Amino acid sequence: MEQSNKEHRKKKEKSTAKKKLHTQGHNAKAFAVAAPGKMARTMQRSSDVNERKLHVPMVDRTPEDDPPPVIVAVVGPPGTGKTTLIKSLVRRMTKTTLTEVNGPITVVSGKRRRLTFIECPADDLNSMVDVSKVADLVLLMIDGNFGFEMETMEFLNLAQHHGMPRVLGVATHLDLFKSQSTLRASKKRLKHRFWTEVYQGAKLFYLSGVINGRYPDREILNLSRFISVMKFRPLKWRNEHPYLLADRILDVTHPELIETQGKQIDRKVAIYGYLHGTSLSSVRGTKVHLAGVGDYSISHIEKLPDPCPTPYFQQKIDDYEREKAKEEGSTSAVPRRRKRLDDKQKLIYAPMSDVGGMLMDKDAVYIDTGNSKTGASGSTTQDKGESEELVSSLQAAQKSIGENYDGVGLQIFSSGQELHVDDSDHDSDENVSDPDVGKIGRSSLRNPRIYGKSIQEEDEEIDNLQSDDEEPDGRSEGRSSHMVEIDFGKDNGDEPILETESEFELSDHDEESWNRNTAAKLNGRSRRPKKWDIGKLIYMDNIDPSDCIKRWKGEDSHDENELSDEDAEGEDFFKKKDEADFKLDKFDSDLEKFKPHFETIKQLITKWSTVDTIKDRFVGTPIARSGDSEAPEGDDSDELYGDFEDLEANDNRDEVHNSSEDDSENDSENDSGNDTDGSFTNFDEEEKKDLTTEQERGLNAAKKESLRLQFEMEEGENFKEDDPENEYDTWYELQKAKIAKQLEINNAELESMTSEQRQKIEGYRAGSYVRIVFDRLPMEFVENFNPKFPVIMGGLLPTELKFGIINARIRRHRWHKKILKTNDPLVLSLGWRRFQTLPIYTTSDSRTRNRMLKYTPEHAYCTASFYGPLCSPNTTFCGIQIVANSDTTGSFRIAATGIVQEIDATVEIVKKLKLVGYPYKIFRNTAFIKDMFSSAMEVARFEGAQIKTVSGIRGEIKRALSKPEGHFRATFEDKILLSDVVILRSWYPVHIKKFYNPVTSLLLENKTEWKGLRLTGQIRAAMGIETPSNPDSAYKKIERSERHFNGLKVPTSIQKDLPFKSQLHQMKPQKKATYMAKRAVVLGGDEKKARTFMQKVFTISHAKDEKRKAKKQDERKQRLKKLAKLEETKLEKEKQRKKDFFSKNGSKRQFQSNDGDSSSKRRK
Amino acid sequence: MSSSRFVVFQGARNFRLRVILSTLSGRPIKIEKIRSDDMNPGLRDHEVSFLRLIEAVTNGSIIEISYTGTTVIFKPGIITGGTYTHNCAGAKPVGYFVEPMLYLAPFSKKKFSILFRGITASHSDAGIEAIKWGLMPIMEKFGVRECALHTLKRGSPPLGGGEVHLIVDSLIAQPITMHALEIPPISSIRGVAYSTRVSPSMVNRMIDGAKEVLKRVGCEVNITADVWRGENSGKSPGWGLTLVAENKSGWRYFTENIGGAGDIPEDVGREVAYELLEEISKSGVVGRTQLPLAIVYMVIGKEDIGRLRINQDQIDEKFIWLLRDIKKIFDTEVFLKPVDDISSRDLIATIKGVGFTNTSKKIA
Repeated sequence: MEQSNKEHRKKKEKSTAKKKLHTQGHNAKAFAVAAPGKMARTMQRSSDVNERKLHVPMVDRTPEDDPPPVIVAVVGPPGTGKTTLIKSLVRRMTKTTLTEVNGPITVVSGKRRRLTFIECPADDLNSMVDVSKVADLVLLMIDGNFGFEMETMEFLNLAQHHGMPRVLGVATHLDLFKSQSTLRASKKRLKHRFWTEVYQGAKLFYLSGVINGRYPDREILNLSRFISVMKFRPLKWRNEHPYLLADRILDVTHPELIETQGKQIDRKVAIYGYLHGTSLSSVRGTKVHLAGVGDYSISHIEKLPDPCPTPYFQQKIDDYEREKAKEEGSTSAVPRRRKRLDDKQKLIYAPMSDVGGMLMDKDAVYIDTGNSKTGASGSTTQDKGESEELVSSLQAAQKSIGENYDGVGLQIFSSGQELHVDDSDHDSDENVSDPDVGKIGRSSLRNPRIYGKSIQEEDEEIDNLQSDDEEPDGRSEGRSSHMVEIDFGKDNGDEPILETESEFELSDHDEESWNRNTAAKLNGRSRRPKKWDIGKLIYMDNIDPSDCIKRWKGEDSHDENELSDEDAEGEDFFKKKDEADFKLDKFDSDLEKFKPHFETIKQLITKWSTVDTIKDRFVGTPIARSGDSEAPEGDDSDELYGDFEDLEANDNRDEVHNSSEDDSENDSENDSGNDTDGSFTNFDEEEKKDLTTEQERGLNAAKKESLRLQFEMEEGENFKEDDPENEYDTWYELQKAKIAKQLEINNAELESMTSEQRQKIEGYRAGSYVRIVFDRLPMEFVENFNPKFPVIMGGLLPTELKFGIINARIRRHRWHKKILKTNDPLVLSLGWRRFQTLPIYTTSDSRTRNRMLKYTPEHAYCTASFYGPLCSPNTTFCGIQIVANSDTTGSFRIAATGIVQEIDATVEIVKKLKLVGYPYKIFRNTAFIKDMFSSAMEVARFEGAQIKTVSGIRGEIKRALSKPEGHFRATFEDKILLSDVVILRSWYPVHIKKFYNPVTSLLLENKTEWKGLRLTGQIRAAMGIETPSNPDSAYKKIERSERHFNGLKVPTSIQKDLPFKSQLHQMKPQKKATYMAKRAVVLGGDEKKARTFMQKVFTISHAKDEKRKAKKQDERKQRLKKLAKLEETKLEKEKQRKKDFFSKNGSKRQFQSNDGDSSSKRRK
Repeated sequence: MSSSRFVVFQGARNFRLRVILSTLSGRPIKIEKIRSDDMNPGLRDHEVSFLRLIEAVTNGSIIEISYTGTTVIFKPGIITGGTYTHNCAGAKPVGYFVEPMLYLAPFSKKKFSILFRGITASHSDAGIEAIKWGLMPIMEKFGVRECALHTLKRGSPPLGGGEVHLIVDSLIAQPITMHALEIPPISSIRGVAYSTRVSPSMVNRMIDGAKEVLKRVGCEVNITADVWRGENSGKSPGWGLTLVAENKSGWRYFTENIGGAGDIPEDVGREVAYELLEEISKSGVVGRTQLPLAIVYMVIGKEDIGRLRINQDQIDEKFIWLLRDIKKIFDTEVFLKPVDDISSRDLIATIKGVGFTNTSKKIA
């Protein structure tokens, strides 16, 4: 390939910077600014560059101390080396050789970072959509020989519209280039193309050939280093939703249910994975979306110990252990901090692939050891997969033998037979597992089946396992006994734990006491005085609020209260329902009543005979002693008082103390201050309606000032006080600081809570490894599960659970070949969901109406309105027409991209409807129009409507004609022609079809073949139906006949009155004699004779004509006379007839008949 | 699964609050056993009227009322706002209808401009001044800057004839996260004493009564007389007093009352003043009447932790019901803990926002 290089330019003479400085014979630097323009430009440029770096400040909700693993998606067309890349990277990071890449693989890549690799199935658009929604980093595989393929482009576009994760290009197959120069050229070409797609200067890696089934170590090392230091910006959608990439899926349906009710029943499925994004609510029944499956509510969620903890986290645990050990007095050797990652710390967790680890569930213990052995001696095994497989199968076989005489902990593993069974063969699995359960006598409901080979493979080397499992023994003990209790979340800082120890105890005690209390309710005993925590009491639904208050306050006077307490308890337990009913009308505790409860006036008077108790609440009054400010009943605040640290030191109170030193001064100050306070002056002046302009101006100024103050208060809220000396000079910095401050507050507050409280208030944090159980997932999800296809669970906000109409700005993708048709099904990837819907494309007619468009515009945005689950405005989405692989041609599949503008319950869309009519009778400005309507009723509906002729004469519909149904009278601004066409433009409402069809691709056996509602065209093609066409709409050859118009004749009487400008100018008669006239011609001879003869003939004929005319005129006069006579008699007759008629019919219907008469007259 | 489709409540308690919370959260609710044991069971006129109002300011709401009126199913739509005139039915004053609107108005699609007609004052519901000087400052604190309640006509009970215009112009995405850990000292006491169709001396007598009590606290007391005459003063005679204690940072405490038949104006003034003192002693950063608004705004805030200092005395049955209802609908709990200061009886209510955003607003 020829390169068009620029011509070589010769190096200029004085080009070095140093030389430049000395051009004028002196050092330019030593004097004034040499080139002010240049300086300005450099400043401009540097500030431009700086500005470009800024992003809208956004809160990053990922926890800092234990973030979830970074999801690295490897994407590319088939055969570009995705699996090889993952294997190489995993080997590089953990020294583990994978034989197979199935599902997510989590590895530890650094002290504080883990990576989850997922391979995106190359040929499945659905998976590509899902992956683009969760990936933090995309390794985009590009075959260097082909450049960008359709899949790559599709993925890039999908990713872009779901928040654009970081993208690293990886070009492979570069060893296939023969010559260096073409390699270089194509690298450059690739790079530049990549830059236009991602951003200028995006990193593109080049991987040459494959050695030993892996990419060269050096190149992989570079890549892995690059990945492990990469920083990520929070993406808006992910910063607002919790999500999870399932790395393990378990069917925990009771096998008996399957056996008795058949395998079609809905399954109970447990999904495991790291939580990402925001924290997931810990409330039961939270709705989430499983991409490709549907919306389901979580029936149970549980935090599990991290299967792949970071060294940093482990170290924290170690530190904690050490602290504990120190406390106990024993000096056990705990490993010290290391600089580099130990081999032991290079963990890998990939339950769906064939690497192992030990897992302990509530249900069971799983040991996956796949390669743990080879992992230890990893460097020696350079063999290929076959031998490894042999080894592992051998190991497995041993295990199954061992299992026969082994302890209880391992018995849930299926027998050796199972190992040889294919993944898909589930029936036999069940058959095998059931007797197993029976034999062991296991009473539990569960017989979990695990997807992925690893769990079925076992290893007896327990020691090995323990080294794999990083938890200290004590912990694992605790875990096996009571899984839920282990909460790593509270181990964040060392000191808080120790400090809050007492609080834990306290709360434990509370919990315990409550338990005891409930137990006591059952038993009817226990009369221990309890101390109630109001925070807990409030949310105990079985206790009546009034009781709550009593119990909470009752502790100082519990002697008398206790009995009533007990009584109340008994009552609670037995008559709770009745009580609830009975109290319904007691409105004192009801927010329906606005006014709070006050004691009677007499009590108030006695209570407030002195205002000392609230003196400290007022400015400038002497402060009461602190003892006085306490309530008369001794309060429990010191007992309840836990240690919580408040970031914002309360020194305002101190200020009050100080200020109270001299009250008189303050008072006067306040007075003046209050006078200037705008809000109440408004109020005062409201009643005086008539203000002078100056007053009004003053009022306005005050209003403006107060608004400004409010704005400032809002912007600098809480932080301005902390930062009075304007530490932050830009708004950006201030915002950043505000965000940081708020996060700090959040952390501090949450850390001050006990773990249960924290769980309740915060939910499950991102980064925690959780097991989520769904009660009723369709069996197809389990039966047709394929670990190659990622399973993603996304949390839903309350709005996203509602359905309605979404108005979105949408544009056909410029690479999609066809424009989109209204009401053709379109698969949208909006939020977590993928669903098919029927969008109606509209445009706004100068904001007065939304007019339906039949097709999307070619290159411009239009509005699409569709029915579906709502999504907050500003969310971007993609539309795809066909997702099934078998239906796609090779062309670009992303049909449209857009952004949600507005959500609503209804939307008004109209389409234009033009009614056409033809005039058949024309008076001056009035015309009768036919063919527009078919009945008088229709006309009546449109009376007064604007109509228009094609030539542009405007008019109005007046009234329906009685006779021909549907004809009407219309008036126009001018006389119209018979040949005109009259048009009525009207708007017809269009209703959105409520069609929502979630793409349930993960339920299919063949996941790439999801077919929803077909496009109209596809259905027609399949059924062999021709596209219906209105013959009117067909294009015909237009024949236009030439029209002749008569010349304009203006009567002389008018013409003479016309102004000169408007006069028709006719040519004046010629005054000069023409040549012909001037020429003298002398007649003579025959010609003269002929002329005279002809003259005589003409004279005779003229005379004859004259005579005939006179005679005809006579005849005509006669005839007219006769006609007049006839008419007279006719009128006479008519009159007579009328007379007779009215004399007969009376005067009752006189009016009507008259009316009819007049109309008939007019028609004449 | 019916339990997950609706949040089920029982009884007529907190009726408006429940409907409001449901509208904000988007979760359908079912309220059962509304006065089922009463001689006159079912919804009252004013409650039905309130549901009408909700229907008018939302789009797509479905309200099903059972035959007996004891069960209501409410599926909320999208808050749209807009211009509307509401005739307040029943014996309830406009405050009963305006108050819940304050929860919804900032999160709507269009600006709220609602004209309420009816009684403007009562013994148990929020008066105009209470809303204007008591609740709207709270909204301002949470970032709703442009809200106003204009009194066009006053209408005292029983005949009413008043007219107020609620305008909320700022549509915000979400309330500001509140951190109110200090109770700023009260700098002044303001108030307004109003009367319709009675002698202006009543007003002055009320003011005298209130001032007599309040002069002891030693801060500035300024009570305005507001006498309404003519056709704007409604159909019935009446008079009342609202007292507001305010501090420099914009928090307010207030009490109000109106005069009933046979009441002596001085007594009413004194009573309101005493109640104000009582209210101040029983309030944290916000008063008891403002607490629900503040708490709800904090609950629907960003997913950050907000803090509000409250008084122990504020934890009453109303408060507990409020928190229970919030928990039922939003699944979020308020965490209470005592303040750092041993001498204080106050608590800090810590609330993590649910991450609500105003989704009904159109993007530009």
